[in-house]
Amino acid sequence: MLTFLCLCAAVAVAPMGAMAEQIAYRLDAARSQVAYEVAFDKDIIRGQIPISSADVRIDFAGGPSSVRVTLNAAGATSSFPFAEQALKGPKVLATASYPQMTFVADGFRVGRTTAQVPGQVTIRGVTRPVTLSAQLYRQQGTEAGDLSKMSVHMSGAVSRADFGATGWADMVADAVRIEIVARLDRI
Amino acid sequence: MSLWNTEDRFGLVTRVLHWVMALGVIGMLGFGTYIANMTVNMSNFHLYAWHKSIGLTLLLLALVRIVWHLGSRVPKSLPAPKWQEALARVVHFGLFLLLLAVPLTGWIASAATGIDVVFWGVTLPSIAPASEAWEDAFFAAHGVLTKLLLAAIVLHIAGAVKRRDGTLRRMVRGQA
Repeated sequence: MLTFLCLCAAVAVAPMGAMAEQIAYRLDAARSQVAYEVAFDKDIIRGQIPISSADVRIDFAGGPSSVRVTLNAAGATSSFPFAEQALKGPKVLATASYPQMTFVADGFRVGRTTAQVPGQVTIRGVTRPVTLSAQLYRQQGTEAGDLSKMSVHMSGAVSRADFGATGWADMVADAVRIEIVARLDRI
Repeated sequence: MSLWNTEDRFGLVTRVLHWVMALGVIGMLGFGTYIANMTVNMSNFHLYAWHKSIGLTLLLLALVRIVWHLGSRVPKSLPAPKWQEALARVVHFGLFLLLLAVPLTGWIASAATGIDVVFWGVTLPSIAPASEAWEDAFFAAHGVLTKLLLAAIVLHIAGAVKRRDGTLRRMVRGQA
């Protein structure tokens, strides 16, 4: 999937200069995912967090764009069962009290195919600034210049300690890498 | 070879329970020390599950041993100075208490982490709320009680070896 997206980069989202307004997109949740990975000594724990909702508005002409994403933390999965329980438990995401995570970014600007997206992420009820790197692609099967179906790949990292998610800090690293692949349909 | 204790000898059931638990408990002291100090990763994470399953098995054996002890005749002690008899009684009582308390505190602390306690593949109902305060308190208690258990075992072995009156032989062969 990501390989395909990378191959598409060369034919990405040209020509867009004529556009000068925000385009609203609906998330195709079934074909989108938020993946995370965190170091566990010499190993890596991987998993996914389902996306509950997303409101994406992009101005391809360089005007302000916005993203609001809500994740279902309580539905998070992990590469092995105990890690999943630990992730959702009170020492990490505390999903019984905080079943959702959110990412909100307003006013960022999209370049030709990439953007730095400074926003606010809320985990365990704690909100902290984070900047994600984003790449935008046309989806497979669309014509050049067709912006009706887009794919967005965003990546970044957060510190667990910043959000009080400090459980098992002696075993599991603080930095959590996040990879988001969002498939968007124009509304 | 009788299964039952008599007035002057230990039966097979008592002796098998004693030595199986002795091996299990001493092995677990070493095993627990090892996993408490290891660097945890995917390749050794399963050792926690083994520790919990073996520990709970020893808890069950301790309960069986206590029921057997209460329900069967206890052979008379071999003659010894009163202070030795008194000390032996205190150490035996302490051992039984610790054989229950050590696995119980470990079980409660594990449950308080919010992660399932799995006993040989069977997930047990949680016996404690998911709480860092409980987890910290009961893991601390588990550590302290384990050291007390080690001290009690050392005293128990020292007493058995020092007496040289057939007490140790009676637990090995049944009679002095």
